[in-house]
Amino acid sequence: MQRLNFEPVLTGKKEAALRSDVRRFLANQGTFPPGEVIDSWSVCNPEFSRLIAAEGWLGMTWPTEYGGGGRSYLERYVVIEELLAAGAPVGAHWVADRQSGPLLLRFGTEEQRQHFLPKIVRGECFFAIGMSEANSGSDLASIKTRAERVDGGWLVNGSKIWTSWAHVCQQMITLCRTEAPTKDRHAGLSQFIIDLDHEGITMNPIKNMAGEEHFNEIFFDNVFVPDTRVIGEVNQGWNQVMAELAFERSGPERFLSSYRLLEAAVEILRAKELQQHAAAIIGQFTARLMVLRQMSLSVANQLQQGKLPVNEASVVKDLGTSFEQEVPDALRLILSTEARLDAKQGVERLLSDAILKSPSFSLRGGTREILRGIIARGLGLR
Amino acid sequence: MNDLVKLVEESATRIFKDFSESDVYDSMEAGAFPIQLWNDFLADGWFRTTLTEENGGTGLGLAGGYVLMRLAGYYAAPIPIMEPLLGLYVLSQAGMPITDELLIPVVLDNEPVGDTISIAGVPWARDAAGLVVVFTSNGNTYINLIRRENYTVITSQNMAGEPRDDVQLNINPLDAAQRLSDDITASQISSWLALGKSVMTAGALQRVLERTVEYATERSQFGRQIGKFQAVQQQLAVQAELTSASNCAVDAAIGHIGTPQEWELIACAKITTAEAAGYAAKTAHAVHAAIGFTHECPLQLSTRRLWSWRDEYGNEQDWSIRLGEYSLKLNTDGLWPWLTTQTGE
Repeated sequence: MQRLNFEPVLTGKKEAALRSDVRRFLANQGTFPPGEVIDSWSVCNPEFSRLIAAEGWLGMTWPTEYGGGGRSYLERYVVIEELLAAGAPVGAHWVADRQSGPLLLRFGTEEQRQHFLPKIVRGECFFAIGMSEANSGSDLASIKTRAERVDGGWLVNGSKIWTSWAHVCQQMITLCRTEAPTKDRHAGLSQFIIDLDHEGITMNPIKNMAGEEHFNEIFFDNVFVPDTRVIGEVNQGWNQVMAELAFERSGPERFLSSYRLLEAAVEILRAKELQQHAAAIIGQFTARLMVLRQMSLSVANQLQQGKLPVNEASVVKDLGTSFEQEVPDALRLILSTEARLDAKQGVERLLSDAILKSPSFSLRGGTREILRGIIARGLGLR
Repeated sequence: MNDLVKLVEESATRIFKDFSESDVYDSMEAGAFPIQLWNDFLADGWFRTTLTEENGGTGLGLAGGYVLMRLAGYYAAPIPIMEPLLGLYVLSQAGMPITDELLIPVVLDNEPVGDTISIAGVPWARDAAGLVVVFTSNGNTYINLIRRENYTVITSQNMAGEPRDDVQLNINPLDAAQRLSDDITASQISSWLALGKSVMTAGALQRVLERTVEYATERSQFGRQIGKFQAVQQQLAVQAELTSASNCAVDAAIGHIGTPQEWELIACAKITTAEAAGYAAKTAHAVHAAIGFTHECPLQLSTRRLWSWRDEYGNEQDWSIRLGEYSLKLNTDGLWPWLTTQTGE
């Protein structure tokens, strides 16, 4: 049996200096609105993204020839964990920086890299994820949106759903069927970069139960996509998507979505008389966080070494999202307060946001059951 | 992992063998000291692993010892491994003579007062040549090697049948005690013991996972391997997650020995491994079903140890309270800096 690999890694002086820079930057930003700090990587603020870009913190690991920072995955890790722990609104650029850029670096053409990567790095081009459809969620291979060959490119028809911030993004990497399904369900899929301003695209916002309107349903009616906007190989989209998901699953955003609540709870409990059962819960959660962080850092280091630790990434995401979902559940008991939907500040608002947003934590990027299926395959059970 | 650690692991693996078919467990649980195994380990000098090369060790210090403890956990070794490794290490730190006897490290929770000191749950006390007793008195850390003739034993066992004896010292450990250097505290040695049990637990968790996955691919019901059922796969996936988290947690703790965050990382390791132990034992038995409940099935050698070890040297609740109290005493806005300082910066 292949053992899961989480060899520990230590960051060094270079990362420490960078961490100080990020903390200085954040101190200058002041505090973020309490209503936006839970799951802050779903909070879209293009202006803030451009501030991050100006610091050189977008596309940090990408080659300098495309405007990237040429820095390590561990350096990027330090920057993003500091931003997330502070509750900074990093949602606008998140997908482009985390997965679209790396995907183009891996599979894109030279022209695509030169065209898109510098724009992403400058905070001028945001990407949305076009994978799920109304009838294709976990069963991604069953998508119906199709791209048909026409002169000089492809004609896309169909729809995508749960496309976060598509109304703000300029581009969407869209998975389409380019050949009729065969016995091999994963064959015949291709990825396209679609300009979201293009004629034939309509979008309907979908309000979520936490009151936010960040995702959409998006329709394609004879949308022309030139050949130059095909990513990688036609009909090889499935393997590319799987590689994309490895980048998506293991980062600190998979366990820090409710971190501001934990921090706020600790501040409140600090001022109270210490109770043993409260200390036990805080201790248990800090231990889990400490270990998750070590695991996630280890995966970042493996990505740096050019490995693709798909199973390890799934482990981090499953343990991490369970953690961030359990934080509000456990803390409400020791804070002994009621969550308030409309509170302008305070732990009541953080609790409300953390509870109402938490169902999505273990859905986005592969459900808990899908992840465990991947891990079971790694164990040799499938 | 550095090359020397890898080398120690590879060569030590050869001496640990699959004891599961042997009757050494039955005789050990019946009270016989496994002298043959002990002599095998002794002959190759394994108990000196934590010592300097001049003293016959590897020069790897505690990290080298923990390599052996993880193997001891994995193979459910029916002899004391952790105790002589840490006992000799503590002796060497005090500059006391190194011997080939079985010496058991014991940390007293309180200052020794009076003529009769009772200590509960001392591993292998009955068979030991002496106890390496460490304690704090008036703010100083002391060490005293108390020989077998100076303590009495009421024998007892943990759920795995491993000796955990109740001991009464017949002399005051303060008499002729030696001061330990100011660099080492009793609570630090206590945390090394807790890490030892965590490391052994991490090893046992890996073994239990492998046994369970193997069984799930061998056993068929309803015309298919039970591992093909999603309900089983999902549980085994979680078991694998907690097992890998445990191994990562102990690796991180070992990597922080001697740093300012040593005990905090050890606390995280004990909490993580002890929690995983319960889930893994429960799931492994559910998958093995009735056969796993038999004495004959080797699964019980590991699961009885998991259930015992998670409580030894502090359970997950004890350590969570300690870590939580510590977190709650950090300065305002101090939690995040604390969480991110252990990265060798």
